[in-house]
Amino acid sequence: MKEEVSRMNGFQRVCRASEIPEGGRKVVEVGDRVIGLFRVQGQFWAIDDLCTHDGGPLAEGALEGWAIVCPRHGARFDLRTGQALSMPATRPTAAHEVKVEGDDVFVKIREA
Amino acid sequence: MVAELQVAKPDVIGEINKYDFRNQERYVFKARKGLDADIVREISAMKGEPAWMRDFRLKSLEIFESKPMPKWGGDISIDFQDIYYYIKPTDHQGRSWEEVPAEIKDTFDRLGIPEAEKKYLAGVKAQYESEVVYGSLRDELAKQGVIFTDTDTAVREYPDLLREYFGTIIPPSDNKFAALNSAVWSGGSFIYVPPGVKIDFPLQAYFRINAANMGQFERTLIIVDEGAYAHYVEGCTAPMYSTESLHSAVVEVVAKRGARVRYTTIQNWANNIYNLVTKRAVAYQDALVEWVDGNLGSRLTMKYPSVYMLEPGARGEILSVAFASAGQHQDAGAKVVHCAPHTSSRIVSKSISKNGGRASYRGLVKVERGAKRVKSNVVCDALILDPKSRSDTYPYIELEEQDVMIGHEASVSRIGEEQLFYLTSRGLTEAEASTMIVSGFIEPLVKELPMEYAVEMNRLIALQMEGTVG
Amino acid sequence: MTESMLETGFSLEAFEQFLSPRREPAWLTLLRKEAWDAFEELPFPDRGLEEWRRTDLRLFRLGGFGLPGFEPAPSDNPATSVPPAAVHHAREQPPRGGLLGRNVELAGRVLAEDSRPIRDELDQPWRERGVVFTSLDAAVLEQSDLLKRHFLSPIVDPRSDKFAALHAACWSGGTLLYVPPGVRVDQPLYTLSRLSPGQVDFGRAVVILGEGAEATLLAETASVDPAAPGLHCGAIEIRVGPRAKLRYVNLQNWGTGVWHFAHQRALVDRDAQLQWTMGALGSRLAKVNQHVALIGPGAEAQVNGVMFTEGKQHLSYHTLQHHQAPHCKSDLLYKGALQDQSHLVWRGMIRVDRDAQKTDGYQRNDNLILSDTVRVDSIPGLEILADDVKCTHGATSGRVDDEQIFYARTRGLTRKEAVRMIVAGFFQQVFDRITIESVRDALGEAIGRRVRECD
Repeated sequence: MKEEVSRMNGFQRVCRASEIPEGGRKVVEVGDRVIGLFRVQGQFWAIDDLCTHDGGPLAEGALEGWAIVCPRHGARFDLRTGQALSMPATRPTAAHEVKVEGDDVFVKIREA
Repeated sequence: MVAELQVAKPDVIGEINKYDFRNQERYVFKARKGLDADIVREISAMKGEPAWMRDFRLKSLEIFESKPMPKWGGDISIDFQDIYYYIKPTDHQGRSWEEVPAEIKDTFDRLGIPEAEKKYLAGVKAQYESEVVYGSLRDELAKQGVIFTDTDTAVREYPDLLREYFGTIIPPSDNKFAALNSAVWSGGSFIYVPPGVKIDFPLQAYFRINAANMGQFERTLIIVDEGAYAHYVEGCTAPMYSTESLHSAVVEVVAKRGARVRYTTIQNWANNIYNLVTKRAVAYQDALVEWVDGNLGSRLTMKYPSVYMLEPGARGEILSVAFASAGQHQDAGAKVVHCAPHTSSRIVSKSISKNGGRASYRGLVKVERGAKRVKSNVVCDALILDPKSRSDTYPYIELEEQDVMIGHEASVSRIGEEQLFYLTSRGLTEAEASTMIVSGFIEPLVKELPMEYAVEMNRLIALQMEGTVG
Repeated sequence: MTESMLETGFSLEAFEQFLSPRREPAWLTLLRKEAWDAFEELPFPDRGLEEWRRTDLRLFRLGGFGLPGFEPAPSDNPATSVPPAAVHHAREQPPRGGLLGRNVELAGRVLAEDSRPIRDELDQPWRERGVVFTSLDAAVLEQSDLLKRHFLSPIVDPRSDKFAALHAACWSGGTLLYVPPGVRVDQPLYTLSRLSPGQVDFGRAVVILGEGAEATLLAETASVDPAAPGLHCGAIEIRVGPRAKLRYVNLQNWGTGVWHFAHQRALVDRDAQLQWTMGALGSRLAKVNQHVALIGPGAEAQVNGVMFTEGKQHLSYHTLQHHQAPHCKSDLLYKGALQDQSHLVWRGMIRVDRDAQKTDGYQRNDNLILSDTVRVDSIPGLEILADDVKCTHGATSGRVDDEQIFYARTRGLTRKEAVRMIVAGFFQQVFDRITIESVRDALGEAIGRRVRECD
């Protein structure tokens, strides 16, 4: 299915809500950023697919409650805010706005 | 060093024998070889640990098993199932020297500990086969609230304090060997220095590997509170073995606001030991952390003491010396990570490779976004003493801020002919001249060592340089 | 327009369609097919590989591009049987968009667009002395023996990675410069490769200097559209024969939508000299390996890097100075300036083999940071196995000095002019090493235009 770009207030459609089950995730591209989209406790959360410790992908890590754990060195980030929760990360990764309308999920990039 | 001495001189043999000996193996309990969840549970049970530590160990074991071996650095061929991960030498911890079992005392007598104790050391924690056998703490320090004990004891007696920091500087998933240590750690030091307390003599510990295939997995945690000061010294030696031996320590250091911590290591492991260590410090506002790291032994050392400067005014300094001889690979260096503005760091690395040895400097200077007004300087000098040897330099600089002053320089060369000529023309033999030049080369580190270490260091260099030049 | 691009992307079918009109010697077709097999077999570089750790390829879609194709048409010159419509020997208008070819007397030009040879010309006196300067496509037919020897011991290994394999299979629109022994070409030669929106450049440069030969080659890339997507997958192979001297300037100046992957390697023989200047200004993402191997005693190489990144560019240049023979000298200076949110990676290694005694190796990287949001990775390196050597490296990074700006402004310069002047001063040290004045001027101007006001 072709991705539609909905430019209403900067939100871009990224996928269907029904594609991601509870506890699931999907990596999507929004402009020139790669984003990890997660569904936890019924809501959708979007963060950069980027571990600020080593610059590598983050979204494939384990989910522990609200924390995503980077698979390479164990740095933890809060899914909701991007905040770094443990060493070796010392800086947050970017967290973005998500909204759902019907079965469509939209992401708006929050620039630093 | 032990293995390669060709020409025996009487005093030198005595010197060697002082460090190369074994006691008969008589222990209270000896775990079986190999590593699995049962062993880890046994270790935790033997130590009488709380559930959280046992679970931490088990989780770490899973992480260790899931991580691949590093694809960089030295050549690590270890059969992890062919190692004992825990041995407990006695049932209780001795309070004074007299209570310690005779043969263990003998080991430490020969290592010169009693003399050291007579001097001005605060206390001696001697590790023997993964347990701290002997320790004594000076009364004054105890009164000031200084805690200097072994980590096992700390888990029992200071659980809240320990738990607040344990595994937070170096999480188990940081790297494969941190995970291993997190699963099977035993012994090591736990130090807490309360605010404002300045300990003006070095706190010291020794390590030793004795049983064949014994691994050392000490876990050290040092917390120096606001405005306090401590200097911790560790030096280790070990006899030669025919099968591989593994030393995989984790050292976590916290330097709070205005604190100063210096951690000195002289490592002189025997040539069959893999020495894979993760050492990291976090420095808060205006704190200073200094690592003084001497790597003289082991078959392979991979060790990069690090300082993370988390708040403005924090500083990190790392002084590293590596000596690689035949059959040795020292892959050592330093990492400094600037996470806050107005922080500065300095790394000085000196390495010598001879007789086919390989010395590699590996380091990182990282400045994160927002860390303005950062200054960092790195100097790496390497001496290669002959065409069989090898020297590498792998420095990494990663910057995300513009307001920085970053400098790095490195050079590799052999002993200058003019320098040699100058000294030999004044009556020194070439060997003596080379030794003098090498000693001068590492002098910046040696002068930072406590006196007995400096003496030991210079003696070891002289031994190493025997028969080098010809 | 874009009829030259095949619609089927990078499939075997497309590859075969690409091959069939070329009518190349069998030995070359075989090499291309072997390389294609390697391309299909090798995976895309993994982020876990040290070399690719800092370069994010997740947004790169090879499928968004296709192989260069040719329009079938009767040949003008049946004798050469070069793919028709590919080479025009007639004089056409001067090259558009080139910087290095201006204000300098050139001995010859080779032009390509979208991997198709467009034009090549070489002054008659040089041609008569045996110099060959043409598109590589024509040269494989006209200089088959020389190139067969060269291709059979390639300087760039087709199996280095997936991009090298793709290039070895599908190179097109390249250049051959061959200078026979003893011939000294005293005017520069020039090549320009242009890219139209959405197109690909698979050009390969092969430079061979015989014993005692001399030449200066200025090579440049440019995009028709400053931001349109494009793909460059290229290679440069240089052989500087004993006592030969080559000055080679390589300016990568694509638009900001181009993905640039290149393997570049030079072999410098006994007592020969190579001065290799790299300009890196363009592209969206560049991953370049630039290697110099000193293979005969007394060889010397001077490598100059001039880099400027802006916007969201990611430029990753990996250099190697490999001392394989004794008494060789290498001297590398890479200077980079960064603006906006760009990311510049320089990774350099000096490797000295055990037999390379009396090596003199030097490596230096300086970076000038013009904004708060850049990222620079500076990674020198030494791997030394000989002992009688002198090897040093240094790296510095910093920002524009506020005092210098203040001083310049008190002299009436605007802030932008002041910064531009400081940037020019920063690059002066490497410009001084470039002995071709027109190149210095062109690079200086190109960089000056890019500098914006910064805080």
